[in-house]
Amino acid sequence: MVLIIKDEYPDKLFREDGKRLDGRDKNELRPIKMEVGVIKNADGSAYLEWGNNKIFAAVYGPREVHPHHLAKPDRGILRVFYRMATYSVFDRKRPAPGRREKEISMIISDCIEPVLFLELYPGTSFEVFIEVIDADGGTRCASTIVASLALADAGVPMKSLVTAVAVGKIDGEIVVDLSGIEDKAGDADLPLAITWFNNEISLLQFDGTMDAEEFDTCLTLGKEAAEKIYKIQLDTLRSKYISIQESVSEISNTSGGEE
Amino acid sequence: MEDEGEIQEDDEFEDEERSRELVVPGEVLTEDVNNFLPGRGTILNDTRDKIISLHIGLKQINKNYINVIPLKGIYTPQPGDKVIAIVVDKNPVKYRCDINAKDDAQLKPRNTERRIKTRLGRGRDYQRDHRDESNTDRFVIGDVLIVKVLSADRLNKPELTTVGKYLGKKNGGIVISIDPPKIPRVIGRSGSMIKMLKSLTNCNIFVTQNGRIWLRGDNIAYERLLIDAIYKIEREAHTSGLTDRIQAFVKNEKIKRGIK
Repeated sequence: MVLIIKDEYPDKLFREDGKRLDGRDKNELRPIKMEVGVIKNADGSAYLEWGNNKIFAAVYGPREVHPHHLAKPDRGILRVFYRMATYSVFDRKRPAPGRREKEISMIISDCIEPVLFLELYPGTSFEVFIEVIDADGGTRCASTIVASLALADAGVPMKSLVTAVAVGKIDGEIVVDLSGIEDKAGDADLPLAITWFNNEISLLQFDGTMDAEEFDTCLTLGKEAAEKIYKIQLDTLRSKYISIQESVSEISNTSGGEE
Repeated sequence: MEDEGEIQEDDEFEDEERSRELVVPGEVLTEDVNNFLPGRGTILNDTRDKIISLHIGLKQINKNYINVIPLKGIYTPQPGDKVIAIVVDKNPVKYRCDINAKDDAQLKPRNTERRIKTRLGRGRDYQRDHRDESNTDRFVIGDVLIVKVLSADRLNKPELTTVGKYLGKKNGGIVISIDPPKIPRVIGRSGSMIKMLKSLTNCNIFVTQNGRIWLRGDNIAYERLLIDAIYKIEREAHTSGLTDRIQAFVKNEKIKRGIK
C-alpha cells in the first residue's frame, strides 16, 4: 500500500488571539540552546537547538586539501559541507547531496569567509561539517550560527562571530524567525547574516513579494533579533571555560573549609 | 639521565594575579585607542576606534599593549623551536615528519649528522661520517625525534635538524599531546610547575612548543599519575592558583593510589 500524504498548509498562519501557530509573538524567537565542544575528536565543534532544529557542526583544520587541485597557493580555503540526515524532514531526505545542499554549503562558506584570516594559511583548508539532525525551517541561518561557533571553539582567529536570522512575511505581517510551516506557506522569506566586525551584512537572500518599506522593517527587525542571538553565542563560548573556573573555585573553597 | 632538559619560554601566563578576563572573538576590548595599542591576538576595526579580540582567550594588558592569549589554537613553527616530531614517511632523499603543525616538516639526512670539517683538499672539505648523502637509514617510520626547526614560514614546509643539544631520537617513554597554547602553563612561571612535577613523580619530562610532551618514569604508576596531572593542567589552564592545586592533586592521588 502506498501512503500518500499531501502537503497541506493551514489557511491562516495566525491564531485568533493574534499569536502565531506555535504561540509566539511576531518578534519572538524560538527557544535557542547552544553548546560548544561536543565532538571530542574534532578540532572544534558546536551543537544548536533552535526550536525544532537540531544541528551539529565540526571543524577540522587547517589541514591539507584533498583533492589537491582545490588548494590555493596564496591563501587557505574554507569548505563547508552542509548535509541533512535522512530522518531530519517529514519525507525521507535522499542522502545524496543535491542542488540545495550545495547551495547552502556555498552560501555559508561565503558568509563566514570575510571574518577569517585565510591568507595566513596558504595551501590548506578549514573544513566545516554541518549535520542537520532535525529540520524545521531556517536551517541555513542556524547552520551559519553553529558553524561560526565551531570555528571559534577550534581557536581559528576570527574578526567576529557571524549571526544569522530569517525574517519574513506571513499573512501580510512581518515576523521574525520563520518556522518550517511559515516558511512554506508564507508570502516572503528573507534570511540575513550579520558579521559583527563593522556590523556588515554578509548574507541576504530573498524569496517572495514585499515592498521597499516592508523590506526596511525586515532589516531592522532582523538586526534586533540577531543581537539577541549574538548574546547567546557569546555566553555559550564563555560558559565552556567559566564552568571549569567555577568548579575549580568551588573545590578549593570546600577543601579550604574542611582544613 | 641524558634526557634531562626543558625549554624555557617567555611565560605567557605570568600575570597570574592580574585580570584574567575571558574574551571571545569579536569582543570589543577597549574603545580607548589613544592610550592602548593592539598587541597579539587583537585587531583594530576599520574606523580605528575599537580594539577587537581575535581569539577565545584571556585578555592581558602589558604596558600600553592589549594582548589576547588564546586558549585554543594550532602550533605555528618558528625557527629555533625544539619540538617532538614523529617520522611518518621517508624516501632516499628525506624524512617526512609530523610536528603537529599545518604542514608536515622535512628532515634531510645532511641535517641528521654532525659534519666534521677535515682537510681533504681539492674542494672536498666535508667528510660525511662514512655515509652517503642520499642515505636515510638512520631513522625508521614511527620514530620519535626531538628536533629543532631550522626554517619555517607560512609558504614553505618547515625544515628540521637533529644536530644539537638534547636533540635526536628518543627511545622508550610516552608521548602525549595537549593544546599547544597551554604549554606555557605546564612549564609554569620560570619552570616552577615542571620542577614540581618532576620532583613529585620522579619522571623525566620534555615539554615542547608543539603541544607534545615526552615523559618517562621509574614505573608505570608514576607515569599515569603524571599524565593525569598534565591533562588536569590542560583543562584548568585558564584558572588561577594552578600550581598549588596541582601539587595538592598529585599528593592526594599518591595517597589514593598507594604510591609513595
